[in-house]
Amino acid sequence: MNKRIISIITISTALLLGACTPAAAPAADVTLTDGLGREVALTTPAETIISLSPPVTEMLFAVGAGDQVVGRDTFSDYPAEATNLPDVGGGFSDYDLETILSLQPELVIAGEINTPELVQSLEDLDLTVYYLANPGDLEGTFDAIRTIGMLSGHEEQAQALTADLEARVQAVEEALAPIETRPTVYYELDATDPAKPYTPGPGTFYTSMIDQAGGTNIGAELDSEWAQVSLEFLLVQDPDYILLGDAMWGVTPESLAARPGWDALTAVHEGRVLPFDDNLIVRFGPRQVEGLEALAEILHPEAFE
Amino acid sequence: MLLKTDIHRAGYDGLDILQDIRFELPPGRIMAVIGPNGSGKTTLIRALSGVLPRVQGSMRVNGTDLLAASEKERARLLAVVPQSTHIPPAFSVEEVVLLGRTPHLNWLGNTSGEDLQNAEEAMRRADILDLRDRLCGELSAGERQRVILARALAQDTPVLLMDEPTSHLDLQYQVAFLTLARELALEGDKTVLAAMHDLNLAALFGDVVLALNGGKAVASGLTDEILTAEKVEEIYGLPVAVLDAPGGGQRVIIPQLPANPAG
Amino acid sequence: MRKSSTPRHLNSPVKTLARPLLLTTALALLLAVLSVGVGAVNIPPGQALAVLWDALRGVPPASGGGDILRVILVDLRLPRTLLMALTGAALAASGAAYQGLFRNPLADPYLIGAASGAGLGAVAAISLDWPSSALGYLAVPLASFATAIITVLIVYRMARVGNTLPVTNLILAGVALSSFATALTSFLMINASGELRRALVWLLGGSTLSGWKPVIGQLPYTLIGCAVLLAMSYRLNVLQFGDEQAQQLGLNARRSRTVVVAAATLATASAVAFSGIIGFAGLIVPHILRRIWGGDMRRLMPLSIAGGAALLLAADILSRVILAPQELPVGIITALAGAPFFLAILRRTKKGRW
Repeated sequence: MNKRIISIITISTALLLGACTPAAAPAADVTLTDGLGREVALTTPAETIISLSPPVTEMLFAVGAGDQVVGRDTFSDYPAEATNLPDVGGGFSDYDLETILSLQPELVIAGEINTPELVQSLEDLDLTVYYLANPGDLEGTFDAIRTIGMLSGHEEQAQALTADLEARVQAVEEALAPIETRPTVYYELDATDPAKPYTPGPGTFYTSMIDQAGGTNIGAELDSEWAQVSLEFLLVQDPDYILLGDAMWGVTPESLAARPGWDALTAVHEGRVLPFDDNLIVRFGPRQVEGLEALAEILHPEAFE
Repeated sequence: MLLKTDIHRAGYDGLDILQDIRFELPPGRIMAVIGPNGSGKTTLIRALSGVLPRVQGSMRVNGTDLLAASEKERARLLAVVPQSTHIPPAFSVEEVVLLGRTPHLNWLGNTSGEDLQNAEEAMRRADILDLRDRLCGELSAGERQRVILARALAQDTPVLLMDEPTSHLDLQYQVAFLTLARELALEGDKTVLAAMHDLNLAALFGDVVLALNGGKAVASGLTDEILTAEKVEEIYGLPVAVLDAPGGGQRVIIPQLPANPAG
Repeated sequence: MRKSSTPRHLNSPVKTLARPLLLTTALALLLAVLSVGVGAVNIPPGQALAVLWDALRGVPPASGGGDILRVILVDLRLPRTLLMALTGAALAASGAAYQGLFRNPLADPYLIGAASGAGLGAVAAISLDWPSSALGYLAVPLASFATAIITVLIVYRMARVGNTLPVTNLILAGVALSSFATALTSFLMINASGELRRALVWLLGGSTLSGWKPVIGQLPYTLIGCAVLLAMSYRLNVLQFGDEQAQQLGLNARRSRTVVVAAATLATASAVAFSGIIGFAGLIVPHILRRIWGGDMRRLMPLSIAGGAALLLAADILSRVILAPQELPVGIITALAGAPFFLAILRRTKKGRW
């Protein structure tokens, strides 16, 4: 069946399901194993939740649990409504334990951006903490969304959402199926030192998503997940596309071309240097599918006419 | 007390500086140790006070073996006035002098009335009572030298070792210093050993002289016997004239310079 | 500078100690009370006292949020206050000891490698992801404590020459080993992508563990270290004159030095292990106190202990208040205070008033 029909059916189903507001899920006491291997005993659904990680905040809102979020970390800025919620700290400074306590959350959801010591501290204060480990690929992201849905009592919305997302992924894969070429990609994470920029390596979301989008990350052969490479390496690899994941920090195709020696790269003088919203890959959640679609369209525009 | 020294060799690891230094110094006597720079005067004082790493031989004060003694025991027998006049600037004069009582104090450094009296007397004899509350950082080199002397006096030991004790002092203080040393020797029954640069002062105040050269004792005996023109020339390699000062009683040693070539 | 007019009672440092000690301790207590009273959640003093009083008597907390207040006061602020006081005391006492030992007013507790060693241990433990093991969350502090001590031990062995422990050797070996440890730490951090953030948080200072655990962990070592340093105060005075003169005054210089280094390292290592690397406190406190009340260690050491606690409590209060609800690492506050301090020193030295 052609992909448009699949999309229509899926979306309609989702809307139907969403329209039939289910009866509030009954409270259940469950014990789960979280991303740190801890046994967490909690009551689902959690009515008041604090999120300590931006992707967690995004996913909570995406499954419709936005009203249950009573506090969030400093960096949670998407969706816009999240910024109106109380800020409990984060980043390199400490989280404000007092504010977290005073908000009286039933559940605190932490991510890998939080240290295990923080989880321990919160536990010592008799708070219930669930640590959500970072997923490694889109399948993992969908699992995470479903987990968030379960914790917040929005399983059905989570299911619908993931079903829709999976459909979109499948659509991309089908569009790419007949294509045989795999352009090479250099994804720039940080070029504070333009002679030694950072690029993602093997085992990262970047590599798997570029792969799924029909390309090859030139960083996939390196040794570390967050690798510093030299211009020489890039000249040898001569990637077909250069994606500026650091566009949000002000890097533009022009500024890249101006770097000494960089204009020798094919992608530069053929105009295949493009800014890219890094949050569409690094912040796992529904927007990653947008990221996949964006990547695919850049690498294989002919498949998405 | 009797200071009996018989050093075979002494020095640092791998380097011997002193060799075959032998003498006996009874109480009430001042020994002037003379010799050119690098002859081992300071090393000798180091060896006696226990801060030289390797000493082979024996050193006894009234029979007590210094080599076997603990630091504390040794410090109750020997006090040193070192050559350096450096004192940490933030200490007051009285505080420094009181530190001389360390070998007699407990680990807390608690002082008794007797300790304070000792310090007071030491300051009086060194003529620094009016400086007692001053910070050492504000004193001149000469004043600091007297403070260090006072500290050694406060230590109240039978033996006093001094290393170039008058190098920074004005003339009147030089005389006062050495007069004090003589008093301590005679009245206080102390044994005093002073390394000296100035041969005239050595002649004035030393009862016996020990002359060193290259770490060896090249002469030792009564002052009159050692401080002669021939012996001094031997030790320093420089011709000198030894005169009797007008008024008698004092020996003066002056270097004999070669005749003026232009004249 | 101190006035040098009227004679002081030097025979008893206790007499001249009483008043300044009372002053600094009172300051520290005042700041401690302030520290318990200040935080992101505003708790009026009367209420705070009531909650603490109830907790002390074992009375169950009042309903309607009373239990939250109790947790905030008893499980967050009180241990935090104690931790900062302990850390400040440990760092200042070590700083005073090293300034005396190295006869240098710019010496600080990290001079012979305790901090860089601790950093290496912490980052190594983080890279190996130990907290999942049986040691739990104490793995990082324990590892950093152990490596701090090992580093100083190596420095000590390297610096020893026969029977003596020359001061210059200690400093040189300390600098060399610190550089090495820091380089290793950086290398580990470059290669540990996911744990990098955690390592950076630790290195920036401020406690990563909250509650009573770090206090219980740090308490014994800080107590022992400070007690020994207090006992060595007089000997530190004598050591000011150099090994040779100290020996001539009856002290076993090498043994005294060793004991001081050991005690200071114990205190510093425990402080760094549980509170991170907080700079300048160990340098500023003894320095300022010396200018006011003199360099006699029998005075300076207890005063530094009280003064160090006061300084760190003040810095910690500031760190919680300046950018509320965000908290700055305490190390940043002390560093910010340190820069003007150094400038002031520079000006005074230039004028020759030293």
